[in-house]
Amino acid sequence: MVLLKCRHCDYKWDYEGIKEHYATCPNCRYKVRITTEQVDELHKRKMDLKIKNRYAVKNRPFKLKGIAGIVDGFVKEYNYDESMLIQILLKLQENFKWLPKEMLIELSKQLKVPLSQVYQAATFYKSFTVAPRGRHLIRVCMGTSCKVRGSQLILDILESSLGVKNNETTSDGRFTIETVNCIGCCALGPVITVDDEYHGNLKSFDIERILSKYK
Amino acid sequence: MKRRIKSLEELEKLRNEIKAKKDPNKPTIAICVGSGCIALGVPEIVKALKNDITRRNLIEKVEIRETGCLGSCEEGPMAIIYPEEICYFRIKTEDASEIIEKTIIGKKIIERLLYKDPNTGRTVKNLKDIPFYKYQLRPLLEKNALFDPKKIEDYIAQGGYSALTKCLFKMKPEDIISEIKTSNLRGRGGGGFPTGTKWQTTKEAPEDPKYVIVNCDEGDPGAFMDRALMEGNPHSILEGLIIGAIAIGSQQGFIYVREEYPLALENISLAVRQAEGLGFLGKNILGSEFSFNVRIHRGAGAFVSGESSALMTAIEGKVGEPRPKYVHTAVKGIWNRPSCLNNVETWANVPLIILNGAKWFRGIGTKGSSGTKIFSLVGKVKNTGLVEVPMGITLQDLVYKIGGGIKEDKEFKAIQTGGPSGGFIPKKYLKLPVDFDELDKIGSMMGSGGMVVMDEDTCMVDVAKYFVDFLLEESCGKCIPCRDGLKVLSSILDDICRGGGKKEDTQIINDLSETIKEASLCALGSTAANPVLTSLEYFKDEWEQHIKEKKCPAKACKALINYYIEPKKCQACLLCLKECPVNAIHGDKDQVHWIEQEKCTKCGACYDICNFNAVERISGRPVPPLPPNGTKPIRKKGK
Repeated sequence: MVLLKCRHCDYKWDYEGIKEHYATCPNCRYKVRITTEQVDELHKRKMDLKIKNRYAVKNRPFKLKGIAGIVDGFVKEYNYDESMLIQILLKLQENFKWLPKEMLIELSKQLKVPLSQVYQAATFYKSFTVAPRGRHLIRVCMGTSCKVRGSQLILDILESSLGVKNNETTSDGRFTIETVNCIGCCALGPVITVDDEYHGNLKSFDIERILSKYK
Repeated sequence: MKRRIKSLEELEKLRNEIKAKKDPNKPTIAICVGSGCIALGVPEIVKALKNDITRRNLIEKVEIRETGCLGSCEEGPMAIIYPEEICYFRIKTEDASEIIEKTIIGKKIIERLLYKDPNTGRTVKNLKDIPFYKYQLRPLLEKNALFDPKKIEDYIAQGGYSALTKCLFKMKPEDIISEIKTSNLRGRGGGGFPTGTKWQTTKEAPEDPKYVIVNCDEGDPGAFMDRALMEGNPHSILEGLIIGAIAIGSQQGFIYVREEYPLALENISLAVRQAEGLGFLGKNILGSEFSFNVRIHRGAGAFVSGESSALMTAIEGKVGEPRPKYVHTAVKGIWNRPSCLNNVETWANVPLIILNGAKWFRGIGTKGSSGTKIFSLVGKVKNTGLVEVPMGITLQDLVYKIGGGIKEDKEFKAIQTGGPSGGFIPKKYLKLPVDFDELDKIGSMMGSGGMVVMDEDTCMVDVAKYFVDFLLEESCGKCIPCRDGLKVLSSILDDICRGGGKKEDTQIINDLSETIKEASLCALGSTAANPVLTSLEYFKDEWEQHIKEKKCPAKACKALINYYIEPKKCQACLLCLKECPVNAIHGDKDQVHWIEQEKCTKCGACYDICNFNAVERISGRPVPPLPPNGTKPIRKKGK
C-alpha cells in the first residue's frame, strides 16, 4: 500500500493495486506516476501475494486427477515457482518424451503463467517437442569439428536409410532423427548419440550396424 | 559424510584425517571418464577393472579413480597409473586384467599400451615427456587426474577450499577484488572483459540482492573446455563462485548448465549437494557470518542463451532471448538486480589466484592477457584434445608442436577460432601469438577457446555457409538484421555452393555483412558475419573459383563434384557395389565398376569404403567417358 498524490487535483489516497507504472486518480481520472521507490514497495506486495497464493495451492483440499494430477506432481517439486517453468518443462519432456497440448494448458493454469508464454518456451528451445517422438532418439552432432570430419554425410545416410528427414519420426515409431550443435566430443567426430549412447569416429558403413542394435 | 564444518580448525582437522587415511604409495589407476572417453567405451573397461580386482581380492590394496577429462581425447581411453605415473593409451576391455597383473602386481610396463612417438618410434612412459603434454602449462587441468570429481574428500585432501577459508577469515572483500584486479584476469568466455572491474561494478551497484552466475552454456560448436572442467573439477568452480560471492556481497548464486552435457550436470549437482552437507554452502559458512546458496539451472538447448542477458532472462523462467543492454547486466541483470556473470573457466581460475597470488598469475602469459587458457584443439589435427597453454603461444606451436601437425600430413589451410562469432586464420598468420588483442586485429577472436583446424579438403565457402546456417537456425528472431539478413546471406551462399554464383555476389555479401554487424541487438548478430568476411578476405581465389569456374577445389560442395571410378585402379571387388544405398554402381565380378551419374546421390559411401583409392571426386571438369562394358580390371601384382 502506498500513498499517492494526484498532480492535477491534489487528491491524496492509499493505492492498493498492483500496477507498476501509473495509477488512475479516483477523483479526476488523471494518470499519476508511481515513483521507483514506491514501485519497489508494490513489488514486495506483489511477491507477498504470490507466496500466499502458492501456499493456498499447496494446501488444496482435494486431490487432482488425470493429467492435472501428473502435472501437479512435477510442479509441486518446484514449489509452484513460475521462474522454474523451463526446468519443469524439461522434467516433463524427460518423463514423457514429448509435451502434449493438454499438459501445457494444465501447466499454464497451475503455474499461473499465460499459455502463450508456456508455448513460447516449448517451441523456442531445441530439447522440447510438441509432437510425439520415436522410441529411440538419434542425435547427429553437427558441430564444426564433426562437420569438417564429414557429419553431413552421416546425416544423409541416416536420412536415406530410415526414409525420413531431419526432425522427423519413422512411420513405425522406432527412430527420430535430430541434429544437435555440439555434444562436446569434438575429438571423436563425426559423432552420433542414440538414447544417450555415444558412437564416435563413424564411417558411412558403420550406420547399418548401429541401427540394427536398437529395436 | 554428513557433518557440518563449523570452523576453520574443524576443516583442517578433517583434511588431516582424510590425508592420514590415504596412502600415497597405494597403487592407483586413474582412468579418464570424460564424455569423450565414454564414447570410446570406458564404462566397460572400468567394469572389467573392478571385476578383476574383486576376483583377485585386491579391493583394499588398489584404487580405481574415475577422473574427469585428461586431455588427450585422440589417444583415449587413457589411464595414469600411480605412484609410478605410467600413462597408458588406447586401452581396450581385454587389456584390463593384463594391466592389473603386469603393472599393478608385477610392477612391469606394458610396452604396447605406451605412447609411441610417431617420428622416432620410441615409447614414452611419463605424461610430461609426451610432446602433446610437454609444451603445455596446466595449472587448471592437471588437477583432473588427481581426484575423483564425485568425491569431495579427494578435493579437500588436495588442499581444496583453502582459498575459501583464506577469503573468509583473512581477507576483506575489497582485498579480494583488488587481488583479482592486479592479477589481470580477463573473462574467459570470449569477451575478455577484466573480471575484477566487473566484480567492482556489481559490488558498487546500489540495489540488493546481488547475484553471481556461472555460465556453462557452452554452445560454440567445436569447444568443450567448460564441459571438461565441469565434469572433472566441479568443486573448484564452486569454490571460485563462493569467493566471488564473498567479494561482491551476494547471497544467491546460479549455475547454468547446458542440457547437452548430462555428465557435467550430474557432477555439479552432486558437488553442490556435498558442499551443502559439509557446510561450504548454506547459512553461516564455516561458522562465519556469510551465507550463500546455489541453484542449478538447466538450459534447454539454445545457442543464444549463452549470451549474458539472454541467460539471465532464461533464469527468470522466460524464453532465453537477449535484451538490449543500455545498462550493463552487472548493474541490472536478473530481475533487474545487479548480477555478475562469468564463464566456468574464469571462476575456476579464482581459487588459484587467491592461493598463489596475483603476481604468480601475472607472470604467466603476455602483458595484456595473463594466465593460461584452455583450448579445444580439434578438426584435422593429429593430436586432438584439450590443451592448456600460457597466453601468447603462437598458433604454429599449437598446431605443430602440441597438435603434432595435420592428419595424414596434408596441407594446412586455416584455423577457425571463436566459434561462429570468430573467423578463419590463414597460413600467413600462423606466427601470431594467441591472446585477446592480437586475434581481434585480424578479424577473428579468441572466443571461448575452440580451435578447429582445417586442411586442404575443407571448402572455405562451404564452412562459411555452415556457420551462417548455424546462426540462422539459432537466431532468436527478435531483431530484423540478424533474422532476415542471415537468411539472405544464407541463400546467396547456397547459390554459390550450388554453382549459381554471380559476379556481384561478393559485393552484396560485404554490404549485407556490414549492416548485420552494425544493426544487430546482441553479440550473436553483430559477430555473425565474421566467418564469412574473413573467409572472403583470406581465401578470395577459392570464392572466385566457385563463382566463375563453378569448381570446388576442396571437393566438398556436393553440387559441384562428381564421383568417378578410375578403371585403371578398380579391382572389381564388389565392395562399393554392395555399399551403394541407391544402387547407382554397376559392374560384376571381374568387371570394372562404373557409377551411373543420374542415379548417384553423392553420399560418398563408395569413396569411404574403397580400399584401392579407385573412387575419385572430380570437380570443374566433365566426367571421363565410361569404360566399355565388360572391361577386365588390371590386377595389382601380389594381390
